Amino acid sequence: MQANEFDGNAAFSGGGFMPSQATQTAPDRSSFSSSKNSDARCLIPLTVKQLKDLSRGGESGISIDGVDVNNIVLVGMVSKIDNAVSDCTFRVDDGTGWVECTKWIHEPVDSAEVDVISVGMYVRVYGQLKSIQSRRTLHTFSIRPLTDFNEIVNHFAECIYVHLYNTKLRGGVTTQSQATNLVGGMTTQPQVTNSIVSNPIMGYQTNLSNQFSGEYNTDEQQILGVSSMVLNYLRRPACLASETGVRSDVVARELNISLDKIRTTLEYLSSEGLIYTTTDDHYKFTDA
Amino acid sequence: MDTSSPAALVNGGLLRMHVGRKVRAVIQVVRSEVGSVVGKSTDDRQLVVKGSPPVPLTSYVEVIGVAENDNSIQAEIWTNFGDSFDTSNYDQLCQLANGEFKHLFL
Repeated sequence: MQANEFDGNAAFSGGGFMPSQATQTAPDRSSFSSSKNSDARCLIPLTVKQLKDLSRGGESGISIDGVDVNNIVLVGMVSKIDNAVSDCTFRVDDGTGWVECTKWIHEPVDSAEVDVISVGMYVRVYGQLKSIQSRRTLHTFSIRPLTDFNEIVNHFAECIYVHLYNTKLRGGVTTQSQATNLVGGMTTQPQVTNSIVSNPIMGYQTNLSNQFSGEYNTDEQQILGVSSMVLNYLRRPACLASETGVRSDVVARELNISLDKIRTTLEYLSSEGLIYTTTDDHYKFTDA
Repeated sequence: MDTSSPAALVNGGLLRMHVGRKVRAVIQVVRSEVGSVVGKSTDDRQLVVKGSPPVPLTSYVEVIGVAENDNSIQAEIWTNFGDSFDTSNYDQLCQLANGEFKHLFL
Protein backbone atom coordinates (compact mmCIF):
# COMPACT_ATOMS: atom_id res chain seq x y z
CA MET A 1 0.00 0.00 0.00
CA GLN A 2 2.87 2.35 0.77
CA ALA A 3 4.92 1.13 -2.20
CA ASN A 4 4.92 4.50 -3.92
CA GLU A 5 6.32 7.39 -1.95
CA PHE A 6 4.43 9.92 -3.94
CA ASP A 7 0.86 9.93 -2.75
CA GLY A 8 -0.99 11.58 -5.59
CA ASN A 9 -4.12 11.96 -3.53
CA ALA A 10 -2.41 13.86 -0.79
CA ALA A 11 -0.52 16.07 -3.19
CA PHE A 12 -3.35 17.06 -5.49
CA SER A 13 -6.50 16.87 -3.43
CA GLY A 14 -6.40 20.58 -2.91
CA GLY A 15 -3.63 20.08 -0.38
CA GLY A 16 -0.57 18.04 0.18
CA PHE A 17 0.78 20.85 2.25
CA MET A 18 -1.35 19.96 5.20
CA PRO A 19 -2.53 16.40 5.71
CA SER A 20 -6.12 15.74 6.66
CA GLN A 21 -6.97 12.93 9.04
CA ALA A 22 -7.57 10.58 6.13
CA THR A 23 -4.26 11.12 4.42
CA GLN A 24 -2.13 11.50 7.50
CA THR A 25 -1.12 7.87 7.89
CA ALA A 26 -0.37 7.41 4.20
CA PRO A 27 2.72 9.58 3.68
CA ASP A 28 4.09 8.84 7.14
CA ARG A 29 5.98 5.65 6.36
CA SER A 30 8.19 7.04 3.67
CA SER A 31 8.49 10.32 5.48
CA PHE A 32 10.09 8.85 8.56
CA SER A 33 13.12 7.93 6.56
CA SER A 34 13.14 10.57 3.88
CA SER A 35 11.68 13.75 5.20
CA LYS A 36 13.29 15.72 2.41
CA ASN A 37 11.26 13.84 -0.18
CA SER A 38 7.99 14.71 1.48
CA ASP A 39 8.81 18.40 1.11
CA ALA A 40 9.25 18.01 -2.61
CA ARG A 41 5.79 16.48 -2.79
CA CYS A 42 4.02 19.52 -1.49
CA LEU A 43 1.80 21.49 -3.82
CA ILE A 44 1.39 25.10 -2.84
CA PRO A 45 -1.14 27.59 -4.15
CA LEU A 46 0.51 30.94 -4.76
CA THR A 47 -0.19 34.36 -6.15
CA VAL A 48 2.29 35.66 -8.67
CA LYS A 49 3.22 38.38 -6.18
CA GLN A 50 4.34 35.67 -3.75
CA LEU A 51 6.39 34.11 -6.54
CA LYS A 52 8.10 37.41 -7.28
CA ASP A 53 8.85 37.94 -3.63
CA LEU A 54 10.67 34.62 -3.60
CA SER A 55 13.18 35.74 -6.16
CA ARG A 56 13.99 38.85 -4.20
CA GLY A 57 14.92 36.57 -1.31
CA GLY A 58 17.67 35.21 -3.53
CA GLU A 59 18.09 31.87 -1.80
CA SER A 60 19.30 28.86 -3.75
CA GLY A 61 16.82 26.55 -2.03
CA ILE A 62 13.49 28.11 -2.86
CA SER A 63 11.22 28.33 0.09
CA ILE A 64 8.30 30.41 1.26
CA ASP A 65 7.06 30.81 4.82
CA GLY A 66 9.49 28.11 5.87
CA VAL A 67 8.15 25.53 3.45
CA ASP A 68 10.12 24.29 0.47
CA VAL A 69 8.53 25.43 -2.74
CA ASN A 70 8.61 22.98 -5.57
CA ASN A 71 5.24 22.36 -7.18
CA ILE A 72 2.81 25.23 -7.27
CA VAL A 73 -0.64 25.99 -8.55
CA LEU A 74 -1.66 29.32 -10.02
CA VAL A 75 -4.94 30.70 -11.29
CA GLY A 76 -4.94 33.62 -13.69
CA MET A 77 -5.75 35.00 -17.09
CA VAL A 78 -3.74 34.17 -20.17
CA SER A 79 -2.47 37.44 -21.64
CA LYS A 80 -0.03 36.08 -24.21
CA ILE A 81 0.64 32.80 -25.98
CA ASP A 82 3.83 31.84 -27.78
CA ASN A 83 3.29 28.65 -29.68
CA ALA A 84 6.41 26.89 -30.89
CA VAL A 85 6.79 23.37 -32.25
CA SER A 86 8.04 21.63 -29.14
CA ASP A 87 6.62 23.90 -26.48
CA CYS A 88 4.02 26.50 -25.75
CA THR A 89 4.59 29.47 -23.46
CA PHE A 90 1.71 31.22 -21.76
CA ARG A 91 1.89 34.47 -19.90
CA VAL A 92 -0.45 34.05 -16.96
CA ASP A 93 -1.59 37.15 -15.11
CA ASP A 94 -3.54 36.75 -11.89
CA GLY A 95 -3.94 40.44 -11.10
CA THR A 96 -0.95 40.44 -8.75
CA GLY A 97 1.63 40.08 -11.50
CA TRP A 98 2.46 37.81 -14.42
CA VAL A 99 4.68 34.80 -15.00
CA GLU A 100 5.69 32.82 -18.07
CA CYS A 101 4.52 29.23 -18.01
CA THR A 102 6.11 26.82 -20.45
CA LYS A 103 4.39 23.60 -21.38
CA TRP A 104 6.52 21.13 -23.34
CA ILE A 105 4.70 19.29 -26.07
CA HIS A 106 5.73 15.66 -26.42
CA GLU A 107 2.51 13.89 -27.31
CA PRO A 108 -0.80 14.65 -29.00
CA VAL A 109 -2.46 14.90 -25.61
CA ASP A 110 -0.16 17.83 -24.77
CA SER A 111 -0.97 19.71 -27.95
CA ALA A 112 -4.67 19.01 -27.42
CA GLU A 113 -4.30 20.53 -23.96
CA VAL A 114 -2.71 23.74 -25.20
CA ASP A 115 -4.96 24.16 -28.22
CA VAL A 116 -7.96 24.81 -26.04
CA ILE A 117 -6.31 27.76 -24.37
CA SER A 118 -6.71 31.21 -25.87
CA VAL A 119 -5.82 34.74 -24.82
CA GLY A 120 -8.21 36.22 -22.30
CA MET A 121 -9.12 32.87 -20.83
CA TYR A 122 -8.84 32.13 -17.12
CA VAL A 123 -6.71 29.05 -16.46
CA ARG A 124 -5.41 26.91 -13.64
CA VAL A 125 -1.76 26.02 -13.96
CA TYR A 126 0.15 23.33 -12.11
CA GLY A 127 3.90 23.50 -12.48
CA GLN A 128 7.36 23.56 -11.04
CA LEU A 129 9.32 26.73 -10.37
CA LYS A 130 12.40 27.15 -12.49
CA SER A 131 14.95 29.94 -12.73
CA ILE A 132 16.32 30.59 -16.19
CA GLN A 133 18.90 33.37 -16.37
CA SER A 134 17.56 34.84 -13.14
CA ARG A 135 14.06 34.91 -14.60
CA ARG A 136 11.41 32.90 -12.79
CA THR A 137 9.42 30.66 -15.06
CA LEU A 138 7.05 27.84 -14.47
CA HIS A 139 7.68 24.45 -16.00
CA THR A 140 4.04 23.52 -16.55
CA PHE A 141 2.62 20.07 -15.92
CA SER A 142 -0.97 20.95 -16.55
CA ILE A 143 -2.87 23.98 -17.78
CA ARG A 144 -6.62 23.93 -18.11
CA PRO A 145 -9.34 26.54 -18.56
CA LEU A 146 -11.71 27.43 -15.74
CA THR A 147 -15.39 26.88 -16.12
CA ASP A 148 -16.61 27.99 -12.73
CA PHE A 149 -15.20 31.37 -11.82
CA ASN A 150 -15.71 30.79 -8.14
CA GLU A 151 -12.44 28.86 -8.53
CA ILE A 152 -10.62 32.17 -8.73
CA VAL A 153 -11.94 33.30 -5.38
CA ASN A 154 -11.30 29.85 -3.94
CA HIS A 155 -7.70 29.83 -5.13
CA PHE A 156 -6.90 33.19 -3.55
CA ALA A 157 -8.58 32.10 -0.35
CA GLU A 158 -6.37 29.00 -0.39
CA CYS A 159 -3.26 31.12 -0.89
CA ILE A 160 -4.18 33.20 2.13
CA TYR A 161 -4.99 30.12 4.17
CA VAL A 162 -1.77 28.27 3.37
CA HIS A 163 0.28 31.39 4.01
CA LEU A 164 -1.38 31.84 7.36
CA TYR A 165 -1.08 28.16 8.23
CA ASN A 166 2.62 28.05 7.46
CA THR A 167 3.57 31.30 9.15
CA LYS A 168 1.47 30.68 12.24
CA LEU A 169 2.75 27.14 12.65
CA ARG A 170 6.32 28.16 12.15
CA GLY A 171 5.78 30.33 15.20
CA GLY A 172 4.30 27.27 16.89
CA VAL A 173 7.28 25.08 16.02
CA THR A 174 9.83 27.42 17.52
CA THR A 175 8.03 27.67 20.83
CA GLN A 176 7.95 23.91 21.13
CA SER A 177 11.65 23.38 20.50
CA GLN A 178 11.93 22.09 24.06
CA ALA A 179 9.46 19.37 23.25
CA THR A 180 11.54 18.41 20.24
CA ASN A 181 14.32 17.31 22.55
CA LEU A 182 11.92 15.50 24.79
CA VAL A 183 10.45 13.53 21.92
CA GLY A 184 13.88 12.11 21.34
CA GLY A 185 14.67 13.41 17.91
CA MET A 186 11.96 11.97 15.74
CA THR A 187 12.78 14.77 13.44
CA THR A 188 15.24 17.53 14.02
CA GLN A 189 14.18 19.74 11.16
CA PRO A 190 11.96 22.60 12.23
CA GLN A 191 10.19 22.91 8.90
CA VAL A 192 6.47 22.83 9.14
CA THR A 193 5.80 20.19 6.53
CA ASN A 194 8.19 17.80 8.27
CA SER A 195 6.73 18.33 11.64
CA ILE A 196 3.21 17.78 10.42
CA VAL A 197 3.53 15.35 7.56
CA SER A 198 6.43 13.23 8.62
CA ASN A 199 5.79 12.99 12.30
CA PRO A 200 2.27 12.55 13.56
CA ILE A 201 3.40 13.04 17.12
CA MET A 202 4.90 16.39 16.35
CA GLY A 203 1.68 17.18 14.59
CA TYR A 204 -0.27 16.64 17.74
CA GLN A 205 2.21 18.65 19.67
CA THR A 206 1.61 21.48 17.28
CA ASN A 207 -2.10 21.28 17.90
CA LEU A 208 -1.57 21.32 21.61
CA SER A 209 0.85 24.20 21.52
CA ASN A 210 -1.64 26.20 19.53
CA GLN A 211 -4.34 25.48 22.04
CA PHE A 212 -2.25 26.34 25.04
CA SER A 213 -0.44 29.23 23.41
CA GLY A 214 3.01 27.80 23.96
CA GLU A 215 2.42 26.84 27.56
CA TYR A 216 2.48 23.13 28.12
CA ASN A 217 0.31 20.88 30.11
CA THR A 218 3.00 18.68 31.59
CA ASP A 219 0.81 15.58 31.56
CA GLU A 220 0.37 15.80 27.83
CA GLN A 221 4.02 16.55 27.36
CA GLN A 222 4.92 13.45 29.32
CA ILE A 223 2.57 11.20 27.40
CA LEU A 224 4.01 12.47 24.15
CA GLY A 225 7.55 11.85 25.37
CA VAL A 226 6.71 8.32 26.37
CA SER A 227 4.83 7.76 23.11
CA SER A 228 7.89 8.41 21.05
CA MET A 229 9.98 6.06 23.19
CA VAL A 230 7.38 3.32 22.86
CA LEU A 231 7.13 3.85 19.12
CA ASN A 232 10.88 3.79 18.74
CA TYR A 233 11.00 0.56 20.68
CA LEU A 234 8.26 -1.07 18.63
CA ARG A 235 9.97 -0.01 15.42
CA ARG A 236 13.05 -2.02 16.21
CA PRO A 237 13.64 -4.82 13.70
CA ALA A 238 13.25 -7.48 16.39
CA CYS A 239 9.85 -6.15 17.35
CA LEU A 240 8.75 -5.66 13.77
CA ALA A 241 9.80 -9.20 12.91
CA SER A 242 7.76 -10.74 15.69
CA GLU A 243 4.35 -11.80 14.41
CA THR A 244 2.54 -11.52 17.68
CA GLY A 245 4.10 -8.25 18.67
CA VAL A 246 5.26 -7.20 22.07
CA ARG A 247 3.40 -7.45 25.33
CA SER A 248 2.83 -4.25 27.28
CA ASP A 249 4.75 -5.37 30.37
CA VAL A 250 7.76 -6.23 28.21
CA VAL A 251 7.69 -2.71 26.83
CA ALA A 252 7.44 -1.30 30.32
CA ARG A 253 10.38 -3.36 31.51
CA GLU A 254 12.57 -2.56 28.53
CA LEU A 255 11.95 1.16 28.69
CA ASN A 256 11.97 1.29 32.47
CA ILE A 257 8.66 3.13 32.60
CA SER A 258 5.73 2.31 34.84
CA LEU A 259 3.23 -0.16 33.41
CA ASP A 260 0.35 2.27 33.93
CA LYS A 261 2.01 4.94 31.84
CA ILE A 262 2.85 2.40 29.16
CA ARG A 263 -0.71 1.11 29.08
CA THR A 264 -2.12 4.63 28.70
CA THR A 265 0.39 5.38 25.98
CA LEU A 266 -0.30 2.16 24.13
CA GLU A 267 -4.02 2.86 24.16
CA TYR A 268 -3.43 6.36 22.88
CA LEU A 269 -1.14 5.15 20.12
CA SER A 270 -3.50 2.44 18.98
CA SER A 271 -6.42 4.85 18.91
CA GLU A 272 -4.34 7.01 16.61
CA GLY A 273 -3.64 4.03 14.40
CA LEU A 274 0.09 4.12 14.93
CA ILE A 275 0.16 0.69 16.55
CA TYR A 276 -2.31 -2.15 16.67
CA THR A 277 -3.08 -5.09 18.90
CA THR A 278 -2.41 -8.57 17.58
CA THR A 279 -3.59 -10.74 20.45
CA ASP A 280 -4.48 -9.77 23.97
CA ASP A 281 -2.17 -7.05 25.22
CA HIS A 282 0.33 -7.56 22.38
CA TYR A 283 1.18 -4.51 20.30
CA LYS A 284 2.78 -4.03 16.94
CA PHE A 285 3.85 -0.96 15.03
CA THR A 286 1.54 -0.27 12.09
CA ASP A 287 3.83 -0.84 9.16
CA ALA A 288 2.05 -1.89 6.00
CA MET B 1 -3.75 44.28 -21.14
CA ASP B 2 -1.38 46.49 -19.23
CA THR B 3 0.63 43.81 -17.56
CA SER B 4 3.00 46.11 -15.80
CA SER B 5 0.78 47.07 -12.92
CA PRO B 6 -1.17 44.68 -10.76
CA ALA B 7 -4.90 45.20 -10.30
CA ALA B 8 -6.41 45.50 -6.84
CA LEU B 9 -9.41 43.34 -6.01
CA VAL B 10 -12.17 45.76 -5.03
CA ASN B 11 -15.79 45.97 -4.11
CA GLY B 12 -17.79 49.18 -4.10
CA GLY B 13 -16.52 50.42 -0.76
CA LEU B 14 -12.86 49.74 -1.49
CA LEU B 15 -12.89 51.44 -4.90
CA ARG B 16 -12.19 54.84 -3.40
CA MET B 17 -8.88 53.56 -2.02
CA HIS B 18 -7.61 52.96 -5.54
CA VAL B 19 -8.86 55.91 -7.56
CA GLY B 20 -6.62 56.44 -10.57
CA ARG B 21 -5.17 52.95 -10.33
CA LYS B 22 -5.85 49.62 -11.92
CA VAL B 23 -8.59 47.63 -10.25
CA ARG B 24 -10.65 44.52 -10.85
CA ALA B 25 -14.16 43.92 -9.64
CA VAL B 26 -17.04 41.56 -10.18
CA ILE B 27 -20.37 43.23 -10.65
CA GLN B 28 -23.90 42.02 -11.10
CA VAL B 29 -25.35 43.63 -14.18
CA VAL B 30 -28.41 45.78 -13.47
CA ARG B 31 -28.77 47.41 -16.85
CA SER B 32 -26.74 47.87 -19.96
CA GLU B 33 -26.56 51.24 -21.71
CA VAL B 34 -24.66 52.54 -24.69
CA GLY B 35 -21.02 52.71 -23.74
CA SER B 36 -21.50 51.66 -20.14
CA VAL B 37 -23.02 49.15 -17.78
CA VAL B 38 -24.67 49.92 -14.48
CA GLY B 39 -24.16 47.20 -11.97
CA LYS B 40 -24.17 46.22 -8.33
CA SER B 41 -20.87 45.54 -6.63
CA THR B 42 -20.41 42.56 -4.33
CA ASP B 43 -21.13 44.81 -1.35
CA ASP B 44 -24.38 46.05 -2.90
CA ARG B 45 -23.23 49.46 -4.05
CA GLN B 46 -24.07 50.83 -7.44
CA LEU B 47 -21.17 51.08 -9.83
CA VAL B 48 -20.96 52.41 -13.36
CA VAL B 49 -18.54 50.67 -15.66
CA LYS B 50 -17.58 52.47 -18.85
CA GLY B 51 -16.34 50.75 -21.94
CA SER B 52 -17.64 48.26 -24.42
CA PRO B 53 -19.10 45.20 -22.76
CA PRO B 54 -19.13 41.84 -24.50
CA VAL B 55 -22.27 40.72 -26.22
CA PRO B 56 -24.05 38.78 -24.85
CA LEU B 57 -23.48 39.83 -21.27
CA THR B 58 -24.03 37.35 -18.45
CA SER B 59 -25.44 38.32 -15.05
CA TYR B 60 -22.03 38.57 -13.47
CA VAL B 61 -19.08 40.13 -15.18
CA GLU B 62 -15.56 40.86 -14.06
CA VAL B 63 -14.12 44.14 -15.17
CA ILE B 64 -10.49 45.12 -15.08
CA GLY B 65 -9.67 48.73 -15.61
CA VAL B 66 -8.84 52.06 -14.01
CA ALA B 67 -10.90 53.46 -11.17
CA GLU B 68 -12.14 56.91 -12.14
CA ASN B 69 -13.79 57.84 -8.88
CA ASP B 70 -15.44 56.07 -5.98
CA ASN B 71 -18.26 54.66 -8.05
CA SER B 72 -17.07 54.28 -11.61
CA ILE B 73 -14.50 52.25 -13.48
CA GLN B 74 -13.12 52.71 -16.97
CA ALA B 75 -12.88 49.10 -18.05
CA GLU B 76 -10.31 47.65 -20.44
CA ILE B 77 -11.08 43.98 -20.02
CA TRP B 78 -14.46 42.38 -19.53
CA THR B 79 -14.93 38.73 -18.63
CA ASN B 80 -18.29 37.06 -18.41
CA PHE B 81 -18.53 35.20 -15.14
CA GLY B 82 -21.76 33.45 -15.85
CA ASP B 83 -25.11 33.61 -14.11
CA SER B 84 -24.17 32.16 -10.76
CA PHE B 85 -21.38 33.51 -8.66
CA ASP B 86 -20.77 33.63 -4.94
CA THR B 87 -20.65 37.36 -4.22
CA SER B 88 -20.22 37.07 -0.47
CA ASN B 89 -17.08 34.98 -0.95
CA TYR B 90 -15.69 37.53 -3.37
CA ASP B 91 -16.55 40.34 -1.02
CA GLN B 92 -14.75 38.67 1.88
CA LEU B 93 -11.75 38.08 -0.38
CA CYS B 94 -11.67 41.78 -1.28
CA GLN B 95 -11.59 42.72 2.38
CA LEU B 96 -8.73 40.30 3.09
CA ALA B 97 -6.77 41.16 -0.05
CA ASN B 98 -6.85 44.84 0.75
CA GLY B 99 -6.40 44.48 4.47
CA GLU B 100 -4.51 41.91 6.44
CA PHE B 101 -3.07 40.05 3.44
CA LYS B 102 -2.30 42.92 1.14
CA HIS B 103 1.33 41.80 0.97
CA LEU B 104 0.30 38.66 -0.87
CA PHE B 105 -1.50 40.58 -3.59
CA LEU B 106 -0.10 44.03 -4.16
